[in-house]
Amino acid sequence: MKLPPVLRLSPEWAPYVLLSPFLILFLVFGVFPLAFSLFLAFQAWEPTSGLGAMEYVGLNNYAFALRDEWFWKSLKNTAWLAVASGVPQHLVAIPLAVFIHTSFKKLRNGVVGAYFMPYITSTVAIAILFSSLFSTDYGLINVFLQALAQVPGLGWFLPANPVDWLNDPDNIKPAISMIVFWRYVGFNVVLYLAALQTIPGDIYEAATMDGAGRLQQFFHITLPGLKPMIFFGVTLSVIGGLQLFEEPFILTGGRGGTDQSGMTTAIYLYRMAFDFNDFGAASAMSWLLFILVAALTWVTHMAFRPRGASA
Amino acid sequence: MGQTTRWFSLGRVFTCLLPLALWLGHARAQQLLTVAAFPAVDEIVRGAIPRWNRLHPNVGIKVVSRQFSDHHTAMTTALSTSFYLPDVMALEVGYVGRFAQGGGLEDLSRPPYDIRKFEARYVPYALQQATSRKGAVVAAPADIGPGTLLYRADVLARAGVSEAELIESWDSYVASGAKIKAATGAYLMAHARDMKDIVIRTGVQPGEGLYFDSRSNVLVTTPRFVRAFELARRVRQHKLDARVGAWSNEWSEGFKRGTIATQMSGAWLAGHLNNWLAPNTKGQWRAAQLPDGAFAAYGGTFFAIARGVPAANKPLAWEFIQMMTLDREVQLGAFKLQDAFPALLETYDDPFFELPIEFLGGQKARITWRTAASRIAAVAVHKQDAFADEVINTELDKVLERGKDITLALADAQRLLQQRAHR
Amino acid sequence: MTNDSNRLSAWAAYAVVGVGALIMLAPFYFMFVFATHSRTEIFSLPPPVFFGDDFFNNLKILTERMPFWRNLGWSVYVAIASTVLTLLFCSMGGYAFAVFDFRFKNALFGLVMGTMLLPSFMNMIPTFMIMDMLGWIDQPRALYIPGAASAFGIFLMRQFVATSIPKDLVEAARMDGCSELGIYARIVLPLLKPALGTLGLITFIASWNNFIGPLVVMRSPEMYTLPLALRSLQSPVNTEWGALMTGSAIATLPLVVLFVLSSRQLIAGLTAGAVK
Repeated sequence: MKLPPVLRLSPEWAPYVLLSPFLILFLVFGVFPLAFSLFLAFQAWEPTSGLGAMEYVGLNNYAFALRDEWFWKSLKNTAWLAVASGVPQHLVAIPLAVFIHTSFKKLRNGVVGAYFMPYITSTVAIAILFSSLFSTDYGLINVFLQALAQVPGLGWFLPANPVDWLNDPDNIKPAISMIVFWRYVGFNVVLYLAALQTIPGDIYEAATMDGAGRLQQFFHITLPGLKPMIFFGVTLSVIGGLQLFEEPFILTGGRGGTDQSGMTTAIYLYRMAFDFNDFGAASAMSWLLFILVAALTWVTHMAFRPRGASA
Repeated sequence: MGQTTRWFSLGRVFTCLLPLALWLGHARAQQLLTVAAFPAVDEIVRGAIPRWNRLHPNVGIKVVSRQFSDHHTAMTTALSTSFYLPDVMALEVGYVGRFAQGGGLEDLSRPPYDIRKFEARYVPYALQQATSRKGAVVAAPADIGPGTLLYRADVLARAGVSEAELIESWDSYVASGAKIKAATGAYLMAHARDMKDIVIRTGVQPGEGLYFDSRSNVLVTTPRFVRAFELARRVRQHKLDARVGAWSNEWSEGFKRGTIATQMSGAWLAGHLNNWLAPNTKGQWRAAQLPDGAFAAYGGTFFAIARGVPAANKPLAWEFIQMMTLDREVQLGAFKLQDAFPALLETYDDPFFELPIEFLGGQKARITWRTAASRIAAVAVHKQDAFADEVINTELDKVLERGKDITLALADAQRLLQQRAHR
Repeated sequence: MTNDSNRLSAWAAYAVVGVGALIMLAPFYFMFVFATHSRTEIFSLPPPVFFGDDFFNNLKILTERMPFWRNLGWSVYVAIASTVLTLLFCSMGGYAFAVFDFRFKNALFGLVMGTMLLPSFMNMIPTFMIMDMLGWIDQPRALYIPGAASAFGIFLMRQFVATSIPKDLVEAARMDGCSELGIYARIVLPLLKPALGTLGLITFIASWNNFIGPLVVMRSPEMYTLPLALRSLQSPVNTEWGALMTGSAIATLPLVVLFVLSSRQLIAGLTAGAVK
């Protein structure tokens, strides 16, 4: 179907027309909310009074956030969770990827699929399931741990009594970390597998002929070769860890747990807005957290920057 | 088609459609009043619809029901832009405080509502609870939750403890708990927090809120908090509480198996126990007043009209609220069907109160609760009450689980609350 | 190194990977098993390990407590709408970025990429307020319209167009008299099929699992999508665990099936994007 000449796009206008739907949505729903959130951070707004009730308060919200003990508590929680769930993800994913890469040829897709499956499922469904698995008296995890503690030799470092995962503030954090680890380890395996394929096999052959052992090859060939992907993966884990919301939210029933031990900053700012109705403070906190995320991403970038090359 | 012919055809179509339009228009004059609520208030509203239809046959009632916290979040959202506002909204007492300070609800003390005309007909403390600091009455009380002590008579009997001994004073309550534990192994209460919740509500001065006074000064270091924490700690130290949270699986199991001997709560808990919590324990529970002569309220439902509701609907909304809160038939109906204790004083002479309650072994507990209702003192509400609740519970946990010093705990709570008292 | 030690380490590798895979899959197994048991059976010692017979009972409780089939319907509707819109807008935009040169091209692309690093919580509150003001609260469009401007999507598309569609092809088509939109529709789109497939899968999965979006924007149970419906079932009072498990299993099953059918393509597409 040929359009009449007056309606036909010239190559000059084509890109703008093609881009405009995306761009309009992007500006309205991607960029504008950011600007609006910045605006909100300087206002006091009580939602039940209606939209007109916004009041300019300058830096009041930021000052409040920085002085708020719960804000700092949430930052500590978030940092703990990010590290405790992020570090094992990579420590386990790299050797796993190496194993799969070298030993699995036919079954590789199946195995990789099995590891990747947790990543694609609904966080809510998973967290609900794990709530039941973590139940103190009837949960499978405690049943399993108790059974394992009967094995001679393992009993000395495993807890003798059922662990109260969900109510004890000391235990809720490891519980959340376990779920996050379970969810993302496969994702990282996939990333590292892809990166492993970019390391040429001849280097390994040459090293073997030179008499290098497997472990030496791993540390001197594999790891350096993986560096760019490690940087990418760690950045994603840092960003992801700092915005952790869904797993702790479901596990603690939306409140953050006893002693707010499972309350990440993302949960806290959600609660500030929707539970405590303080939208101004919530916006200020989101910007403070964002600055932290940006700073940490920059630090990661600096740490992994290839020596000698510019960023 | 020529011009004239076209007009005639249009005219013919129009004349045919006219009766239809008139009929539709008349049908639409059948107004619809939207009422937003949560379980079981939605059932109460539905139960009152036949009465409403007799009073206002042309106005239908549409009930929009959501789960408890989702309902209140939805109401907050609706109030924020006046989109999707129901004509009447049901609110639980914990949220009335927040909404009262916001200014989004109609002040029912002003004309044309003039709710103060009816002030004497309501249970006094209930109306007080819906009154903001500036004196605006933002909601009308529909039902109240007089605090009561439900206890297992059989467990007490086995331990040789009488009801009088149980409720004489807080000290005797705790001492009875030790006896019960020794003789039967059952816990006195579900969680030491329950003890704290009641004791902080005793000794509230007029005009004071639970955590804040009328000027938003923080009250958590006052003697009632210190005593509450001390008693709770004592309960925990003597291992008299089962350490289970309310509404958890373990809590309901505790009732079913008789490992929890007493529970302080609103009178409505008896209904829940009967319906699904522990129906197998029928006949073994009794109701008493709270220990130490304490009187407190647990829960309560209110009805409010948002300011953003179209002016045409407000008079009808007010009619509806009057019916729900001031009509004897409706109030008693809710009481009989849903255990919603009436806020309307004139229902209190109804013979229903004298009826024995089977679940409580035939006890005429409603008389006990009626007495309690008239003696509950009003506690003012504050915007930060929900937050204060959490802070105090967190500090109590630290005192109970980690042995934190009480003065330090309350001082920490004071500091946290001071930061936000004026937000 | 002897053959034996090689074989031993190979077997060790198999064992480790195998056990790991079992740990990955075990929770899914239990989710489906629990979905067929009643609440008291789930919370009993020992917990159930094999399938039970309470599935239909759970389903009954589930549908009594929530308009569950409606919620499922909304999840499907929003996911499909989201996928179609995202594929359309991102392919158009990606094509524009890859093939054409225009003013502000690099700055714009940089801006879009920058937002990829933004944490999700930044938009939570302003999005709520914007939807509130637009009157889009409780409307599905509040879920699928904003997502169509996916930075990851346009990145993937641009990458694919740049590497698979030579500019001469476009030039030749232009000289043949094909209109710009015609080139897009008849030449570029068919060549983009693999990337469209991958992005479609990713978008569908992300929309199906989206929890924060509906949490912030939906207020009425009839309008909830599945994750939100599940969470509202998780009420502190009287949680119906059997029904909850059944709901979770139903929410998870379509994705598991989708994934099993398409895992290779999905993983390949993701890694192509990652190994930039």
